[in-house]
Amino acid sequence: MNPIVIILLVVLGIVVILGLWYITTMNALRQLEVKVEEADSGIDVALTKRFDALSKLVGATKGYAKHEAELFEKVTKWRKGLPDNLTMEQKQEFQGRLNEVQSGINVAVEAYPDLKADKVFLNLQNSINEVEEHLQAARRLYNSNVSTINQRIVSFPTSIVAGMIAVAKKDFFEADTEKRADVDVSF
Amino acid sequence: MDPLLAYQTKKQQAEKYILIGGPLAVAAVALFLLVGLNDSVFQWISGLLFVGALGFIIVGSVRFNKMVADFKHNFLKDKIGEWIEDGVYKPDQGLGQNTVYGCEFLQSADRYHAEDFISGSLDGVPFQMCDIKLEERRVEHTKNGTRTYYVPFFTGQFYVVDFNKNFNGALQVLETEKPRSKRPFKKIKMESVQFNKTYKTYTTDDHTAFYLITPQMMERMMTVEKNHPGNIGFAFIDNKMYLAIDNNRSLLEVQMFRKLDEARIAGFKADFDLIHDVIHELKLNQNIFKEIA
Repeated sequence: MNPIVIILLVVLGIVVILGLWYITTMNALRQLEVKVEEADSGIDVALTKRFDALSKLVGATKGYAKHEAELFEKVTKWRKGLPDNLTMEQKQEFQGRLNEVQSGINVAVEAYPDLKADKVFLNLQNSINEVEEHLQAARRLYNSNVSTINQRIVSFPTSIVAGMIAVAKKDFFEADTEKRADVDVSF
Repeated sequence: MDPLLAYQTKKQQAEKYILIGGPLAVAAVALFLLVGLNDSVFQWISGLLFVGALGFIIVGSVRFNKMVADFKHNFLKDKIGEWIEDGVYKPDQGLGQNTVYGCEFLQSADRYHAEDFISGSLDGVPFQMCDIKLEERRVEHTKNGTRTYYVPFFTGQFYVVDFNKNFNGALQVLETEKPRSKRPFKKIKMESVQFNKTYKTYTTDDHTAFYLITPQMMERMMTVEKNHPGNIGFAFIDNKMYLAIDNNRSLLEVQMFRKLDEARIAGFKADFDLIHDVIHELKLNQNIFKEIA
């Protein structure tokens, strides 16, 4: 066979292999992005449920924890209660504010044993605990997916495809918002 | 007389028959091989000896089995009632096949055997358990014909524990098994590298897996695996937790020529350590996992 034909076939083979690898890698990255987005929306759902549950708790303890009720009012005004279109940092801040209200209520009701023993209050506390567990699960799932995609993005040669299709590293959803002093969210 | 001592005496009496019958059978075979092959008188003598030996062995075995049944139905039943809240012990029964295969990771057996059913609750957590033996049928074709035999692929304990936590998907955490289910299980990785080395996690819903398997739960599941030799599998399906441990042993077994004393009874009690550990390590006794009346 003509050597030029052989070279052309080899080059063609290499191009086909590279093309297939590019498509496979691109699809894998896109799928990982979708998984991150799904997990992100899972956080939104959990945050919304937590807000709703806390809203009921605030309503039930309004007479006992006035400061917390006012604080919660501010959170409501800020985001209308829902975490739609928030950045990850804002979601963390949103969660931090909800935590603040929750722990404030927990401290405030300590002085009212009757309220603590109230069945409605206990049910609300239980439902908040459950919602909180779901939120933690959503956060861990999101972070796990972010870790997977970030590892792929920084690994060579996948990093080349990631750069070409503009897939960037994702932010983690941190559990501790107290330390994130650089986030500026005003009420 | 102390009931345990009475059982031990009965057991020793049964064992005496085996101790006489066993050597007698060996002597009969030896006599036949050494002198009986060429002498018809010795053939008769060794034959009679062998029949006598067989008689002793059969009587010994029957007496032993009767004693074991009596011991389990009466003595052990009472003991389990003491050890476990609302404890019910049915030595001759086991969990149904539907319950066991409800874990959706055990291979369906050609021959299913279950015994030593126990139900009750530990720290307010209801559970059921039994010994199970699952066997696969093998057929071997040789020049002399076809031979069918059964090979056990699971011998151990199976537990069903009420898991009062609401979750949508199904989850399996397995050491070596794989899901055997129509549900769309897929393998996922948890955050802990060590946990992923010990167990493989399969779920129909990622969120459910992360919801049920918290970092603390991972640590505890690894502790359970470390403290209990055998191949362990957990399944969380429809508010139930299934636990199967393939450790090639049966619980509450009375063995021949092994003394039946207080130490042995303590050993039987220790057989409940696994379920005790699972309930405590996984904190199923905490309120969030207990049904609220």
